[in-house]
Amino acid sequence: MELRLPGRTSTTGVRRLDTERPGEVIDRSTSVPFTFNGKRFTGHEGDTIASALMGNGIRIVSRSMKYHRPRGYLTGDFWDPNGALQVGDEPNVRSGHRKLTAGMSVSSQNVWPSLDHDVKAANGLVSRFLTAGFYYKTFMKPASLWPYYEKVLATFAPGGTVDLDTPHGEFDKRYAHPDVLIAGGGPAGMAAAIAAADAGASVLLVEQEHQLGGHLRFGSDADRAAAGTLRDEVGRRPGIEVLTDSTVTGRYEDNWCSIVQRSHPTVSERLIKARAKTLVVAPGLIERPYVFAGNDKPGVMTSGAVRRMINLYGVQPGDRAVVFTANADGDAAADDLEAIGVPVHRVDARAGEGIVEATGPASGLTGVVLTDGTTVDADLLVTAIGWTAPTSLLNMAGDRPVYDANAARFFGSVQIDNVLTTGGIAGDGTVEELIQHGEATGRLAAARAASIAHALRSATVWATETTTDAPAFPADDRTALERHAHPELYRASTHGIVDYSEDVGSKDLVAAAKEGYDSIELLKRYTTATMGPAQGKLETVNTAAVLAEARGETIADVGTTVWRPPFVPITLGALGGRIFEPTRVSSIQPWHEARGATPILAGQWIRPEHYGDPAAEVRNTRTNVGIIDVTPLGKLDLRGPDVPALLEQMYTNKWRKLPVGGVRYGLMCAEDGVVLDDGVTGRLADDHYLMTTTSSGAGTIWEWAEMWLQTEHPEWQVHVTPVTTGYTSINVAGPRSRELVARLCDDVDLSNEAFGYMQVRRGTIAGVPDCIMWRIGFTGELSFELHVPSGHGLHVWERLMADGADLGIQPFGLEAQRIMRLEKGHFIVGQDTDGLSKAPTTGLENLIKLDKPDFAGKPELAWALEPEQAQILPRIVAIQPDDPTIVPEEACQILAGETNEILGRITSSRMSPTLGRSICLGQVVPSLALPGTKITILLVDGRRVAGTVQEHHAHYDPEGERARV
Amino acid sequence: MAGSPTALIRKTKAKLGGGPPRYSAAGLVRRGLSGDPWPRVWRDVDLKSSYDVVIIGGGVHGLATAYYLATNHGITNVAVLDKAYLGSGGSGRNTAIVRSNYLTPEGVAFYDRSLSLYNTMSTDLNLNVMFSERGHMTLAHTDGALRTMNWRAEVNKLQGINSSVITPAEVKKLAPSLDVGTDSRYPILGALYHPPGGTIRHDAVVWGYARGADHRGVEMHQKTEVLDILCEGGEGPDGKGAGGRVTGVRTSRGDISAPIVVNCTAGWASLISDMAGVKLPIHTRPLQAAVTEPVKVFLPTVVVSGSLHVYVSQTDRGELVFGASVDPFNNYNVGGSLEFTEELAGHVLELMPGISKMRLLRQWAGLCDMTPDYSPVMGTTPVDGFYVDVGWGTYGFKAGPVSGEAMAEAIATRQTPKIIAPFGLSRFASGALVGEKGAAAVGH
Ligand SMILES: Cc1cc2nc3c(=O)[nH]c(=O)nc-3n(C[C@H](O)[C@H](O)[C@H](O)COP(=O)(O)OP(=O)(O)OC[C@H]3O[C@@H](n4cnc5c(N)ncnc54)[C@H](O)[C@@H]3O)c2cc1C
Repeated sequence: MELRLPGRTSTTGVRRLDTERPGEVIDRSTSVPFTFNGKRFTGHEGDTIASALMGNGIRIVSRSMKYHRPRGYLTGDFWDPNGALQVGDEPNVRSGHRKLTAGMSVSSQNVWPSLDHDVKAANGLVSRFLTAGFYYKTFMKPASLWPYYEKVLATFAPGGTVDLDTPHGEFDKRYAHPDVLIAGGGPAGMAAAIAAADAGASVLLVEQEHQLGGHLRFGSDADRAAAGTLRDEVGRRPGIEVLTDSTVTGRYEDNWCSIVQRSHPTVSERLIKARAKTLVVAPGLIERPYVFAGNDKPGVMTSGAVRRMINLYGVQPGDRAVVFTANADGDAAADDLEAIGVPVHRVDARAGEGIVEATGPASGLTGVVLTDGTTVDADLLVTAIGWTAPTSLLNMAGDRPVYDANAARFFGSVQIDNVLTTGGIAGDGTVEELIQHGEATGRLAAARAASIAHALRSATVWATETTTDAPAFPADDRTALERHAHPELYRASTHGIVDYSEDVGSKDLVAAAKEGYDSIELLKRYTTATMGPAQGKLETVNTAAVLAEARGETIADVGTTVWRPPFVPITLGALGGRIFEPTRVSSIQPWHEARGATPILAGQWIRPEHYGDPAAEVRNTRTNVGIIDVTPLGKLDLRGPDVPALLEQMYTNKWRKLPVGGVRYGLMCAEDGVVLDDGVTGRLADDHYLMTTTSSGAGTIWEWAEMWLQTEHPEWQVHVTPVTTGYTSINVAGPRSRELVARLCDDVDLSNEAFGYMQVRRGTIAGVPDCIMWRIGFTGELSFELHVPSGHGLHVWERLMADGADLGIQPFGLEAQRIMRLEKGHFIVGQDTDGLSKAPTTGLENLIKLDKPDFAGKPELAWALEPEQAQILPRIVAIQPDDPTIVPEEACQILAGETNEILGRITSSRMSPTLGRSICLGQVVPSLALPGTKITILLVDGRRVAGTVQEHHAHYDPEGERARV
Repeated sequence: MAGSPTALIRKTKAKLGGGPPRYSAAGLVRRGLSGDPWPRVWRDVDLKSSYDVVIIGGGVHGLATAYYLATNHGITNVAVLDKAYLGSGGSGRNTAIVRSNYLTPEGVAFYDRSLSLYNTMSTDLNLNVMFSERGHMTLAHTDGALRTMNWRAEVNKLQGINSSVITPAEVKKLAPSLDVGTDSRYPILGALYHPPGGTIRHDAVVWGYARGADHRGVEMHQKTEVLDILCEGGEGPDGKGAGGRVTGVRTSRGDISAPIVVNCTAGWASLISDMAGVKLPIHTRPLQAAVTEPVKVFLPTVVVSGSLHVYVSQTDRGELVFGASVDPFNNYNVGGSLEFTEELAGHVLELMPGISKMRLLRQWAGLCDMTPDYSPVMGTTPVDGFYVDVGWGTYGFKAGPVSGEAMAEAIATRQTPKIIAPFGLSRFASGALVGEKGAAAVGH
């Protein structure tokens, strides 16, 4: 075992070629500076980080997770398991894919203290003891040491480093509605795009690489020419939008697809959400690594990796190569190597030849042992042993791909109307054949999209077309691509690495299978194979093959694990998008701020908690007049002949007899009888009502109303319009409120006889017509709640303040209102009630009308009102501590005497400025609910104090006379 | 009732000592040197036509029940049946958060017992379940949430549970990646901090119980789906329903007779109970989760935010594991949704603005069996011999050990142990619910 390695700039033949390659994508006239592990290098425009590193002669780029073995590029593309590097503050950058940019600071992630000298490489010495899952079998004793062991294990966590000061950045999202979405811009995908566009479809063509072309990009002259022609044809069609360096990451219900776009000019990653009428899956194939001893030594590469390095980036990957090939791509890689002057020893699997192991130090291979026993000198070993079909998107669409032993890969097995496949994932063929299949697929996709679009247009309530002339849903009449025979090559006679990112070898898999972890899912969980960054794209089928071999079964028997979204990882930034969680303020907020109100965040709303002294605000409201901005109160405008039916359904009490001009309080319960919301609703005209909800319930109750209307009673004629912010709401409260409102309103008779408690009127206030006012309030004082068209809210507020100056008017905030409502014993849903509080807990049994034909929660409430339930359901009661100076904290427990048995809790508590003593609401078991009952309250500081249950919920003015004057 | 089913059960002395070799560092070294393989974690045996107890569901609940039946009561002629592989349900999909700072006294006593079993589990089962007692923090973003935290802290204090409300500054100290600034959209006003809470390796718990039960003679049968429950004497069709008794199960591999059948199928619980003519007040809803690519460890505790419907912890492998609240409607679809990942990411970044460049690697979902009061349904049913241990919702993993222990006792002694008495099916007829819903916005 070598702990020291030669310098990174290797003496092997890894370097930039002196002469240009015909298809290369780098601009040799440019020089792009960057650093790698602190050292300065330069690359060219068009380079990936990987090609720039290899162009600089760097062969070792990372260390493996567990044994810290030196690793070089294996696939040299997005999936490269060894290529995850830290770039600046960004961890886990796919260096095989990421374009090099000037000034990049690139470093290896999994090294300590450095890439060259990694102390943890010593783990390799004991690898035979550290088989997969070894940690389940040790570190158990002594138990007290486990936290320490855990810390050590955690230092093996792979991956880069998060800089917690990373700014959030810009991550806007986009919606798209393409007729045809195509995942993959190789020949088949491009041909599909062209044909679909020619058939009139709008097409979104998404390609993961930086250019369209797929495998043709690094192919022969003819391949590149074909790609060029297709690319031009795509470019000529305005109906095709192309996104390169972008990936279709998910396919969800109803072809709701996610795309991550990395190529946006101003946003580092953008999430595009596309509702595609048809999805064409054309991602090509992913070349599979081969399992053999030494297969993770730097210098072992796939044929695709070698061809990309040579043909796209002009990089020579080695000096002396062995190419183990089972297919034309392997042959082409050998040809490419020879073309740049690298001597090649070909080992042809089709001729029964094979390799046994890669030899040489951990820092890089120096030889290859063949099955005929000979050893060939080489610093590069290329394998071309077959492909994995990236069927992820098909799985997400409900397909269950099936293994075809003859072709040695998986194929989709289920016909899905709006998901089609083409290209390598669908079969094999010449470029011409792939293009033809792509075209046929594009035409079919466009025709299906048209049919689906027609169905959407004609089947909705907005239908502009009838279904009678609906085009028939086009059947799949494509000629299927052939499946060429391919040898089944997964593992040589030796054992090697199967999952490079997790450092799991075939030996580990066999041992785990023998131990009983012998289904693919258990094996994955136990060994962590396929759980790394590539999520099995390189590893899954090899894992299945090793398991099949161990069990003496076929790969088809063993199957694969379920491919889960996303297809490639997406940054949290792109998923989260611009944080769009706005807060809301009323039209009076600037005034509150100017007055120095202390703001409080209540749900979505920012509102004044108080203006300096809430107790003074209470006293002033009770003696003179106060105004509070209650705009956050939920408001729903209800119109139509069936509004009473809706109200009867949503509230527990009755509504049919509410006269025009009347207002009623009601309780809403969910189906389980638990209190959902409460509030008042007033009848403004025959078919016109205004409903108010709690501030926090505004959204829920709107949805709840729509739920009843849309899914349960579509026959009811009701329009619901949320008008919470359409009106600015002001409650004018206090003995002098009538006098004040009268000064601003001359078209409504405000006398108690003409406009009594719990009534609603419409009128003009401070010159603003069409205001709604009703005589209700949370404070218990004579009050007028004004709902003013919100553009005029500030105006009315300022007029109230000005005209009320001589009446002693003062604004009051949420805290004063909370105190006054507690003095009045009004409970707050969600504070004094909880997720289990059924309606009778509130003491409002008289508002539950079981003689109504139906209402939400009726069956549960019928039960809750049975006599035995009265012994079970907790009750809300008013409580006063016997010592009036003690305010028990909200959440204090009510106990049975000196024991710890819990009999209830304090849900609200305050010092009452009006009564000069502490007051509470609480929930208690029924046996404690009788007035006069003595209870024990456990304060947070541990003291137990006595309290008494009150007769009424209201501590103040229990008869409610002050509001009725 | 036609004789007590337990009378039919043979009890064997659990044979200890003779079992498979114990896991240890020395064993790893010895086998590393000799190359000897470890024996199977559980045996691969033929399915018999009759057992004393058939347990449906190879999750943590079914396996723990089997383990304690064998270990504590010597009842070993037991089969655990699973339609897929062990741990394929919620037990292999959960986010493995364990804690005991529940809201009701009943809940607290119960989960606290589970936590203590987890504490010694690695040595008890001789398999490292990697219980990481890293502390559990539930954030409060509103005064209402803070009130609920105080409520929980007060109840916990009375039960002797280490759980208290801490300040934003203390929150920051425990988890520096959290934004405790006051101008954030969801300011952190405080948190309920529960030091004994933490995470565990869920699969290891499943395997540990399976291995322990197998070692004492219990049989594991994977890929064995229960298609029907065989009953006699009940008031419903085919002798099912109240007043009857269970006689066995019909499986995809043939009929099995058994006087006792235990339903431990979580997300499928209502379907299985229906097969015996027993209706459960359970809704099945998917719960989604996701994991990021690994990065070097930076988050030492479990962080939960009820208001933001998200919770997060970092594994020893460096991945952030996220969960949320259950999907808003009943279904059995575990495909996952895009919206879940978007909302999740947005909310996580709200809490930890610095991690926007981390990538979401994988999302998944599992089925949760939700009850009206967010507490389980455990014990007997109106069908004699048919037991349930279900209603585990989003929080049942942590309850596995205590549930298994109590269910085993219930089956072996024909007496409902006190610790699970509040969770009987009959409470839905009497109305004496166990109010965990009050505080279980994200109830993990
Ligand atoms: C995403 C997610 C996150 C969670 N996070 C947590 C957490 O952090 N903490 C916590 O405590 N809990 C959590 N839970 C809940 C927890 O996972 C479950 O409550 C728990 O695992 C239930 O275990 P179980 O053994 O009862 O059921 P499961 O593990 O679901 O096992 C039921 C088994 O029954 C089998 N089965 C079903 N039907 C049949 C049939 N007809 N025949 C044979 N077998 C059948 C299934 O295959 C399955 O294996 C979470 C759940 C999910 C989905």
